Amino acid sequence: MLQGIGSRGRREIDARRAAPATLTLFLAPALLLYAGFTIYPVIRTFYNSVQTIGPQGQQHFVGFANFSALLQTDFVFWKAVGNTALFTIVATIADVFGGLLLALVLFARAPLAPLLRIVWFTPVLMSYVVVGIIWVWIYDYDWGLANQVLRAIGLGAFEQSWLGDPHTALWSVMATHVWKWLGFNMIIFLAALYALPGEVLGAAELDNCGWAAKLVYIIIPMLRPTVVNLLVLSFIGKMMVFDLIWIMTGGGPLWSTETVSTYVYKRAFDWNTFDLGYPSAVAVLWFIIILAFIVLMTRLLRQHDRLEF
Amino acid sequence: MNRWFGLRCILAVALLAVMAAPRTAANAEDVTLTVWSHEADEDAKVAFRELAARNLEKAHPGVTVKITWFEKNPLLAALKTALPAGQGPDVLYVEPDWTEYVEAGYLEPLDNLVNWNNIEPWARQVWMHNGKTYGIPQEAYTNEIYYNKDLLKKLGVELPANAQFTQAQFLDLVKKARAAGITPIAQGVGDRPFPGAYIVGEALLRKLGKDDYRKLWTGKLSFEDPRVVEVFKWVKELVDAGAYPKNFMTLKLGESHYYFYTRPLALMLPMGSWYTGRAFVPEDKGGQPKDFPLGIMQFPAMDGGACNQCKTSAIGASFAINAASKHKELAAQFLDAMSTPEMGKMWIETIYLQTGIKADVKQFSGPHAAYFTELMERQKGTDYFIGGPRDLVQGQCKDSFAQVTNSAFPGGLLPVDQAVKMMNAACYKG
Repeated sequence: MLQGIGSRGRREIDARRAAPATLTLFLAPALLLYAGFTIYPVIRTFYNSVQTIGPQGQQHFVGFANFSALLQTDFVFWKAVGNTALFTIVATIADVFGGLLLALVLFARAPLAPLLRIVWFTPVLMSYVVVGIIWVWIYDYDWGLANQVLRAIGLGAFEQSWLGDPHTALWSVMATHVWKWLGFNMIIFLAALYALPGEVLGAAELDNCGWAAKLVYIIIPMLRPTVVNLLVLSFIGKMMVFDLIWIMTGGGPLWSTETVSTYVYKRAFDWNTFDLGYPSAVAVLWFIIILAFIVLMTRLLRQHDRLEF
Repeated sequence: MNRWFGLRCILAVALLAVMAAPRTAANAEDVTLTVWSHEADEDAKVAFRELAARNLEKAHPGVTVKITWFEKNPLLAALKTALPAGQGPDVLYVEPDWTEYVEAGYLEPLDNLVNWNNIEPWARQVWMHNGKTYGIPQEAYTNEIYYNKDLLKKLGVELPANAQFTQAQFLDLVKKARAAGITPIAQGVGDRPFPGAYIVGEALLRKLGKDDYRKLWTGKLSFEDPRVVEVFKWVKELVDAGAYPKNFMTLKLGESHYYFYTRPLALMLPMGSWYTGRAFVPEDKGGQPKDFPLGIMQFPAMDGGACNQCKTSAIGASFAINAASKHKELAAQFLDAMSTPEMGKMWIETIYLQTGIKADVKQFSGPHAAYFTELMERQKGTDYFIGGPRDLVQGQCKDSFAQVTNSAFPGGLLPVDQAVKMMNAACYKG
């Protein structure tokens, strides 16, 4: 191929190609940071997971003992796995499809659409700490907005200690999480909707295609790559959920909102021990599970027939 | 040309690095002593420690004491990562239940470093492990039940002369308060792993006596012991009678204070005597109203209790020296600067709380003198158990203490048999 370019063209390509020293200089900082703050911690976590770390940092190789204890006797871990799975599945579906719904409302130019776009997106800009504190107040039994509204509309019988009851705590945190992230998904979907080829939609309208049919047969199929990406990203994020849970419930009551991430933190920093072996084993196992799910999801949702437009 | 570009970049970066390097030689004699402290939100304690820092700086020109203020959880997270990395401050805030720092060798033994003449021997004892002392005890406290005198009067109940109800009288009081639409106990566990366990913990101490109480929390006595079950049943009666507020599970420590003395008001608030740290600040900063009718009662006497005069006394805020510190002598001088009799007096008079520092305060003055006199009155004839349950439990037992004894059981989420079973599974070592 290059033969056809000629010697002048080759010289131009060579001139654009940086010298190895230059490449190294520009790549080194990023690579060093990546190695120091990502690669090394990951390797170290894998290494620690087969150790018990005693006082003064003394390490003892214990093989798979940490994993064995984790899988066989640790009921809190299994509780955390169950909670994380439920949180991940429900919140992912609610987040992504809720975001799609909101985007469609705006795309259809609903009344007050510009205002609604701002209102729905604002929670995304708020930090988890702020969101968590606001919602803990909203859920408060005595003076919280949720129960006040129920009382005001005559549904006082349904008032709850939303975060204090193991049956409602996880769902309440989930609702807060969805509230925070709906706007993000909405904006992504909205961008994807506006990027859809006008001629396809126009042709559908010429064919007298109704809104519902257009949505089901044209819009959603064309949004499939966006849906898949958001599902995968949302899924990964929720498998690692920590901040909101930690702020709102700390994993309680009775471990009903304990997630794998909060459990790792507790085992690492809240158990009167410096042993990072066991929490590392939890982290490694969870890493493998997340990886497996991502591979599975990507394969299942991969689009075989490429859309052409 | 390109060949030299990379080299020139490397030289330029190196030159910039040299120019930006700190000039260390000029101030080589200056020393900065770093201190990490909890209790950023308690103004009186901040003022106390900052004063000690300034005093040390005056006595040692060229020394700067830099205190970094934390809340407890961020402090713990910072220490747990910094110390194993050989980093961390010269002086650090510690509490007696943080035994892992001692076991891991991150704290310097203080026996030959600080002046122990200014420290109460019983308080020093709390910090002794294998014959060495690792912390300077600053804050001491006892567990008390604070109550609203006016509300008690309104309910037509009189406090016994020894300020201690029987367990039946206490249950009756809770029922009366609830019937009158008053929240009996303004307790919440929204942000702390221990307040919900005050009632059950003190009841267990009185019922079992000091030795068996210690055995219970160190895994040598079963939670299925009939005396323990009896206490749990009594506490369950309190819970079922509506002792705690409906928002018990989410009510935070600061909010529970406000709930007790401002809105909506409650009859009682069981708390360490560090209650004052939040209550005795100006009202606009969340303190109790000036005319608030505050009283102190003993925790109830248990039927057949082995030690109804017993009470938990514990050491809270303490300070230690990082074993990796390069300024151990200076750090010890800072600990001494916080522990003089004058500073002890200041602690009592501005923080209104007991201390492990020897302080000759026989008469109390100031706006809260009556409070401190009453607090001292409640200490008469008391047999102290030094240390709370959280000082004794570890690992799964500590987590279960937080989830079951502190939270789910007083929150009404668990029946007695299940609570006992869960605690036993987590704590009892057979």
